[in-house]
Amino acid sequence: MKISEILTQEFIIPGMQSSSKDDAILELLNLFKGDPRVKDIELVQNAVLERESIMSTGVGKGFAIPHAKTNAISDIIVAFGKLKEPIDFKSLDEQPVSFIFLLVGMESSVGPHIKLLSRISRMMNKDEFREGLLNSSTAEEIYNLFLEEEKNYLEIN
Amino acid sequence: MVLNLGQDFHFSPFFHLLSYKLAGRKEFMAFIEYFLIVFSFLVLVSIAIAKFSDNLGLPSLVLFIAIGMLAGSEGVLGIPFDNAETAQSIGLVALVFILFSGGLETKWSAVKDVAKEAVIISTIGVLVTALLVGLFLKFVFGFNFQQGLLLGAVVSSTDAAAVFSVLRTRSLSLKGKVNSLLELESGSNDPMAVFLTLGLIELINFPKTGIINIALTFLLQMGLGGLFGYFFGKLMALILNKLKLRHDGIYPVFSLAYACFIYGFTALLGGSGFLAVYIAGITAGTENFIQKKSLLRFFDGLAWLSQIVMFLALGLLVFPSRLLGVFTIGMGLSLFLMFIARPAAVFLSLSFSPFKWNEKAFISWVGLKGAVPIILATFPLLAHIPNADLIFSIVFFVVLSSVMVQGWSLSPVAKFLRVDKPLPKKKNYPIEYEPVEGTDTELIDLFVPFNADVAGKTIVELGLPKDCLITMINRDENFLVPSGGSVLEEGDIVLILVNKDNLAKIKSIFAKEKGK
Repeated sequence: MKISEILTQEFIIPGMQSSSKDDAILELLNLFKGDPRVKDIELVQNAVLERESIMSTGVGKGFAIPHAKTNAISDIIVAFGKLKEPIDFKSLDEQPVSFIFLLVGMESSVGPHIKLLSRISRMMNKDEFREGLLNSSTAEEIYNLFLEEEKNYLEIN
Repeated sequence: MVLNLGQDFHFSPFFHLLSYKLAGRKEFMAFIEYFLIVFSFLVLVSIAIAKFSDNLGLPSLVLFIAIGMLAGSEGVLGIPFDNAETAQSIGLVALVFILFSGGLETKWSAVKDVAKEAVIISTIGVLVTALLVGLFLKFVFGFNFQQGLLLGAVVSSTDAAAVFSVLRTRSLSLKGKVNSLLELESGSNDPMAVFLTLGLIELINFPKTGIINIALTFLLQMGLGGLFGYFFGKLMALILNKLKLRHDGIYPVFSLAYACFIYGFTALLGGSGFLAVYIAGITAGTENFIQKKSLLRFFDGLAWLSQIVMFLALGLLVFPSRLLGVFTIGMGLSLFLMFIARPAAVFLSLSFSPFKWNEKAFISWVGLKGAVPIILATFPLLAHIPNADLIFSIVFFVVLSSVMVQGWSLSPVAKFLRVDKPLPKKKNYPIEYEPVEGTDTELIDLFVPFNADVAGKTIVELGLPKDCLITMINRDENFLVPSGGSVLEEGDIVLILVNKDNLAKIKSIFAKEKGK
């Protein structure tokens, strides 16, 4: 399993309109509506917001990774968004956020969940990768960046 | 609040006997001794009974009231307590704490989706209920319409505490939105019922007041209540985090005074103090502040004490024999509320909502009444509204019958309407941690932020609070078991056992940027 296998182009928003943290999360969650992997979108939403209330997942360098584990899905589901205008995400470094990666995993598969978090953090920590994201304007370009970057990474299982 | 029981608190022969034996002391001292004995005895019995009631699946409030009635003028202890004003004061103060505690424990993230529905059902719904009851009493029992309306307003608020205590003992929980709506409704319809009751009393006593004036007052009450509630809720978290009190024990004292202040201040300026207190609780509950867990527990305890004292007082106040006298009207009104007024109000209020019919039906059935109607019923008594005695007895009857009938049937009805679900299962981690009663510790996953000051430091250098422990680190998708000398890196995911009180501290450690 790789991020580029879970993340498809329909789940990438290259120009998010939201202007607040909650709206942005909801804008991404909106993509999950009607997806067969999602059993109860509300529980998913609650889980993500609850995790967010413990501590903001805005982890610096303009990046946030809202995530949660819940039984309300049947398989890992992710989405990525690039904001038109950077927004306040109550980030730990208090800098505005431009990229949001939303990750929802199952309660039963914690190992892969944490590994995915770790991989995303590793990728987003790379200056060239973020640079590439900033300069891309379509879902396809963004997807290709993930695909390219992940070529050298191992499978997660 | 309890000491002004004062002059109206006469002792029965039973207590005279006791006081005779202990004669020779100053009268006042003796009063305090007896008062404390009686008070503690009633509370202790209530607690013992509450434990018992869990097995019965019956809301404990019925039993508290029953103990009050047994201790009262027509019961075995024969305490002749008939001071409605005192009971009302106890009730109002108790309500402040109950609403504040309820607000603090409300999870805003879970309920905000149903906020619109909750507002509609606790304004329009309450109004519809009151109107229907007014009409019903006028045409079936020949009441004066205004008095009927007043009675309707008094019985229109619901009590969720009862609902959740029943469901929890049956290991049931309700599916997502129904749960949230009931919770939010029960807290927010109290201010509305209070307002409507006081407004109608005003109208009956001063018919010239006019509907427009009442409507304006309504806007002022709710507007100020909401505004101050939000403001003071935010402010509370801010103050608590800056206060740095030397003794942990002072935090609850501060919060107690603070909650009272919110009510007093808002009410003084013409806002709804109850709404303010409830919203302040919700607002503060969304924030993180030091001592949060212990304050939550403190207010939970306070809310319990408030409930017990309030129901005892209300039980003392009522004359059970008068309840029998209103059996026909009481039963008629109860049935009307359960099967017609509440369902009509619910289905009407929720007609544009995504709730399904079975959910609406269940919400209708959960029209459980609690203490608020009884407290409200003391207002007409004190305002000398005609037939206030009758209204009080009817309300008491309706509350008791609603709690008994609906309270007992909740679980089966929830199952029948398929709105129930089993209590949630615990979470799994590579390391298992099961929160035990009595600890506030949680296992959470944290990101080491990019540019974080902690990156590059060893764990012992972090200056973590005492009762917290980094149990695992995931780096580049590998799990590492850390020791004190392990160095954190940017983008690490750490699994950390943390005491909730220390969350703010941890947050500040991890949020610190390099070089700052």
